[in-house]
Amino acid sequence: MKKELVELLINDRTYEIAIHPSKLLLDVLRDELQLTGSKRGCDDSSCGSCTVLVEGVPTLACTALAASFSSDSDAGIAPLAITTIEGVTEHGALAAIQKAYGEWGGAQCGFCTPGFIMTVKALMRDNPDPSDAEMRQALGGNLCRCTGYSQMYSAIKAAVAAERQGLMTAQPLPGEAGHAQAQPAQPRHEQAAATQARENPKP
Amino acid sequence: MSDFSIIGKPIALVDAAGKTTGAGKYTDDLTMPGMLIGKILHSPHPHARIRRLDVSRARALAGVKAVITGEDAPNRYGILPVGHDETALAVDKVRYIGDNVACVAATSESIALAALELIDVEYEILPAYFDPEDSMKATTDLIHDHKPNNLEKDYHHVFGDPEAGFAEADAVAEARFLAAEVTHAAMEPHSTLAAFDIDSQTSGPGRLTVWSSTQVPYYLQHKLSIVLDMAMSQIRVIKPLVGGGFGGKSEVIPLEIIAAVAARKANAPVKITYTREEVFWAHRGRPRTIIDLKTGVKKDGRITAVAARVIQDGGAYCSYGIVTILYSGALLGALYDIPSIRYDGYRVLTNKPACGAMRGHGTVNVRFAFESQLDELARTIGMDAVEIRRVNLLKVPCITINGLRVQSYGLPECIEKVAAASQWAERQGKMGRGRGLGVGCSHYVSGAANSIIRSDMPHSTVNIKIDRDGGVVIYTGASEIGQGSDTMVAQIAAEVLGCSLQRVKIVAADTDLTPIDIGSYSSRVTFMNGNATLRAAQDIKKHIVAAAAGKMNCAPDEVIMRGDKVFKKMLPEGADGKNSAAQEKTSQDAPAPAAGDPTVSGHVEGQILRGSVQQKRKDEGPKDHMSFEEAVVAAIDFSGALSGTGSYAPPPEARGGKQKGGGVGPSPAYSYAAQVADVSVDEDTGEVTVNKIWAAHDCGRALNPTAVEGQVIGSVWMGVGQALYEEMVWKDGLLMNPGLLEYRSPSSVESPEVCCMIVESVDPEGPFGAKECSEGSLAAVIPAIANAIYDAVGIRLRETPFTPERVLSALRAQKSGSKKLEMTGGLDPTAPDRFREHGGSLCFEGKGPARNSADAARPRGASSPEAAGAD
Amino acid sequence: MEAVSALDRHSGNIKITAGGTDVIPSLKQNLFSPEYVLDLRGIADLRGIAIVPGEGTVIGALTSLSDLEHSAHIRQNYQVLHAAAQTVASPILRNMGTIGGNICLDTRCLWYNQSLTWRKSCGFCIKKDGDLCHVAPGSERCWAAFSGDTPPALLCLEAEVEIAGAGGTRRVALKDFYQNDGIAFLRLQKDELLTRVILPESTSGLAGAYHKLRMRGSIDYPLAGVAVTLKQRNSGAPHGEIEEAHMAITAVNPSPRLVAGLDRILAGKIVNDELARAVGDLAAGAAKPLTTSALTPEYRREMVRVYARRTLLAAGALLN
Repeated sequence: MKKELVELLINDRTYEIAIHPSKLLLDVLRDELQLTGSKRGCDDSSCGSCTVLVEGVPTLACTALAASFSSDSDAGIAPLAITTIEGVTEHGALAAIQKAYGEWGGAQCGFCTPGFIMTVKALMRDNPDPSDAEMRQALGGNLCRCTGYSQMYSAIKAAVAAERQGLMTAQPLPGEAGHAQAQPAQPRHEQAAATQARENPKP
Repeated sequence: MSDFSIIGKPIALVDAAGKTTGAGKYTDDLTMPGMLIGKILHSPHPHARIRRLDVSRARALAGVKAVITGEDAPNRYGILPVGHDETALAVDKVRYIGDNVACVAATSESIALAALELIDVEYEILPAYFDPEDSMKATTDLIHDHKPNNLEKDYHHVFGDPEAGFAEADAVAEARFLAAEVTHAAMEPHSTLAAFDIDSQTSGPGRLTVWSSTQVPYYLQHKLSIVLDMAMSQIRVIKPLVGGGFGGKSEVIPLEIIAAVAARKANAPVKITYTREEVFWAHRGRPRTIIDLKTGVKKDGRITAVAARVIQDGGAYCSYGIVTILYSGALLGALYDIPSIRYDGYRVLTNKPACGAMRGHGTVNVRFAFESQLDELARTIGMDAVEIRRVNLLKVPCITINGLRVQSYGLPECIEKVAAASQWAERQGKMGRGRGLGVGCSHYVSGAANSIIRSDMPHSTVNIKIDRDGGVVIYTGASEIGQGSDTMVAQIAAEVLGCSLQRVKIVAADTDLTPIDIGSYSSRVTFMNGNATLRAAQDIKKHIVAAAAGKMNCAPDEVIMRGDKVFKKMLPEGADGKNSAAQEKTSQDAPAPAAGDPTVSGHVEGQILRGSVQQKRKDEGPKDHMSFEEAVVAAIDFSGALSGTGSYAPPPEARGGKQKGGGVGPSPAYSYAAQVADVSVDEDTGEVTVNKIWAAHDCGRALNPTAVEGQVIGSVWMGVGQALYEEMVWKDGLLMNPGLLEYRSPSSVESPEVCCMIVESVDPEGPFGAKECSEGSLAAVIPAIANAIYDAVGIRLRETPFTPERVLSALRAQKSGSKKLEMTGGLDPTAPDRFREHGGSLCFEGKGPARNSADAARPRGASSPEAAGAD
Repeated sequence: MEAVSALDRHSGNIKITAGGTDVIPSLKQNLFSPEYVLDLRGIADLRGIAIVPGEGTVIGALTSLSDLEHSAHIRQNYQVLHAAAQTVASPILRNMGTIGGNICLDTRCLWYNQSLTWRKSCGFCIKKDGDLCHVAPGSERCWAAFSGDTPPALLCLEAEVEIAGAGGTRRVALKDFYQNDGIAFLRLQKDELLTRVILPESTSGLAGAYHKLRMRGSIDYPLAGVAVTLKQRNSGAPHGEIEEAHMAITAVNPSPRLVAGLDRILAGKIVNDELARAVGDLAAGAAKPLTTSALTPEYRREMVRVYARRTLLAAGALLN
């Protein structure tokens, strides 16, 4: 049950913390770092409320060990860039998708909203003009119990339009730049010469 | 079209940014120094006596600060004053799998979980009851000793002359309908944080503060005071953001009490957050319901009589059950003109988690049966399904045969809107086999006219404070749970005061700060808290207007407040109160005064500082317009800090008939909904696809159309879930699908497009004419889908949900002429007679939970080695 | 390899996770309580799709299902795998879940995939901590259903898997990798690791389709699934005449399985409704669904019949 030092790169900021290797990323975000925007809605990886971006790829924070994303100086591995909902606002203002979710009723109780925003950020990057069917498919990993999803589609369309008009210029999220469309990001692990298996004692 | 500057406009909810940025705090996001984590030990048996409960090993574990059991807080409570049958933790008996036995408060979750494994419990397993019709026959081993036959409550109402009505009818239909149990599945699992202060005088434990995911902070405060034997004044309940309720947080949930008891014993703050499985055990959702329904109609379509016998499988505790069973009967009225009604309602206890209030409380399952049967009767007499609904409209204003007062009634317009939009006349019955249209209507109360706690107190009170900074602070007890109540309150106040929304700050749902409001349930908030807000704003406005009239040398009734300005009527600035373009512009372009605005006099706006613009104006003598803050400062100069208060209690005329149980159902106003569903049925697989739903909803007046549409679409969508996918599946009291993977709340992929149309009937008593919009649309969609399935393939499903196996089984029976029911566990979904032994879509053969050998419901006489034994 | 030696060292007391989507929810339910969890994410050379001339297409076990879904090579040459990959769970879970994980996916059952407290209340089951199978009382073996979507597609493609162990690597045909037992459904030793999937060149370009029975359009595991590949005769034969056909079913047995006897019905024929019906009956006969999931077993077996027919017709329509 020994804690290990991990180095995580979250919202462009590096955190060095000592955690049990069995600790889930969601628990680290919420309990250790007070980044409580990512929510726990289920216990069986089905609801998507905890979605964060890892190197730009939507990932369930409740279904991943935090240590998996840490740097490893012995192996020369840099930490993977994690973006949570707290890293989405731009220069102190709402990003286009956040503003549109408010204006179009995409958020009611708001509990699932951070997860949806992360999923939609990735969708808008990979597919700048999604059709209705593509939006439906893309949101399929996040459950909402309030909205019936309809108003989210309006919000996404509005955000797409707003970004296109340049009314609100979105900055790329950390770790996003340079990734080809529809091509899941290649983890930085691959750049490292050494292959590495992590051995994580469980309490 | 309207004279309004704030209401009627689609605006973002005032708390939207906190939600889209993740900055907003929900209860589980809160933490305190020294906070402990609480974990609850749950019963593994559906019905058992606790012979021995030994927590000593758990208490001895390092990191465990307290272990509490039933003895620590034995006082009984329950949401209904007549239903106090719960305790914080089990005293003597457990009554369902998941019932609360003990709680550990420890320094970490893992220690608390480890400690639960060290608690030794010896149970004596008792015979258990799962089927409500069996349970009603019980004479021994009752679930609660004071409830003979496990009958929580039954009601028998007769209005008009039902027998004569049926005799006079040209066509009578009679059938049994079944509805499976469904649950709220709000995205936020329940969470409570409880902490005691230390009292400065006594130096002992003092006041209790509880942060909780609740729709009803005042009820929680009340029940905590009962269980903890504390004065209500010593308890403060704060509602942080709530991640959805739908009724699942509209009563006191066990963890809320348990956390407080644990905090008291541990002398430290305790937070408990349910796992998703625990949320399913806490439940309080919509009960399994048996509806035996009989309806008679004349050849011209007029309904002559309705008789309903309703049995609800209520679970192990009363919860809201008595109200649920009463709503099921009362809201047979007030949708159509029905001359005679007979209602027999039975709320039955079973050894399963308690059912309670869920969106559309009490009305949904009966409405499914009624609207399905009406569709059937229309076909019998050769009348169009839309037409038969037109024929039976109420003539309002009226008081229905069962004593419900209806003053505004947008149903006719709702029906016409959905018929036109769906091209009903052109498409219904004409799209070929496999595709069909179905119609359904529904309604709901805008709050109950009689509070569950009988008293003369107002149901809502709102206070407003305006100080020299020009900020408008509203203190409302209304519980924002995502439905937009904070926004509604802000909009109404800003509309009345003619100020910008940015001026308005909402302080809500904190029992220390906000006046009593009985909570967010039964769609009461807009009507009741909205009216209280309206009155509070009018109250405070009087003072501002009087001061402004003095300053402007005119009569108070000549003063207009609008667009953050106060001005005299008859000014060129659009002062006739009409919607001039200039004025519209003013109101829209007048957010919080920005720096450099000439009406702003410094860092503290509104203060009349020497040499400032306002000082200059003041010196200039009477004027014909003022800024909002100038008027406010003038009023404060006259009468001190401004405060206004308003409250609302439903009028006596709206409180219903005198029959026993007649207090449930009456409301100051009813919302109305009509829907048409367009479905396709795959005849090889039985899969039903909803292509589109047209939903019209009469909400009186849409104070915020975006929010109204969100509520209506959300209701319709939730109804689609109940119609097609969702059900709680049981095996001997064990819930087989206690998670979001197996309890299938619809995903975006299969969720249909809902075309929402708002109808505004402008209720004479609603705030600006507004009524409810969050629940009334749920009930119509289930029968609309059932009727569309009939239109598509000619099968009449009388059991929800319409799973593919049920649809296919009915289709096969239709084709072969004989019932081929192996796919549905032997039950005919077109003529169900009882719940399958274990309910749900499956018949589980396995052993399931241990059972008493004397158990009457014991399936197939299988033996149980542990019967009556220790655990 | 370091990973394999770790497996060897902690044999029996270690659980492998890659994407985590299967193992981590199960860990939360105390279905495993290993002392160690071996997170394979970092092994870069087990990730990616490579075309190896003379051998076929080699897919690293850690390749995500999203990578398969978005691979032009897979889409163009292994239709059935592409179709199956894009039905798995939800987009987010496909980002995380790997092909190796989907092949080794633990069998599922409503009596098994539950919390410790839940399982305690019914006296546990034969798969974990108990001695009784609730879905087939009296049975000596476990009937939990294998619920992966890609393995039936891989079976139709005659895929092989590479397995690394302390003693080196071995290769085995995927059909020999499974056995029909809900507990020991994989022929994999405790110190072994599935490292690669090899799609032979011979099955490249086959017409293929995968249909999945699910309640929701997303998230759900399959309640039944049918994969089909068809190879048509080329020279001289009438268009669409079948030379070889494969069909495999999933989620209705403790392992994914090839439907035997397909060639007897289809070889030398052109796919039509009547043949498809016969194939449907054959497939239904190979399915043994039990009450391990939602929807009744009788219905799910019936759907294997319908889906087999439809999937065959869909694959037939793709023959060019």
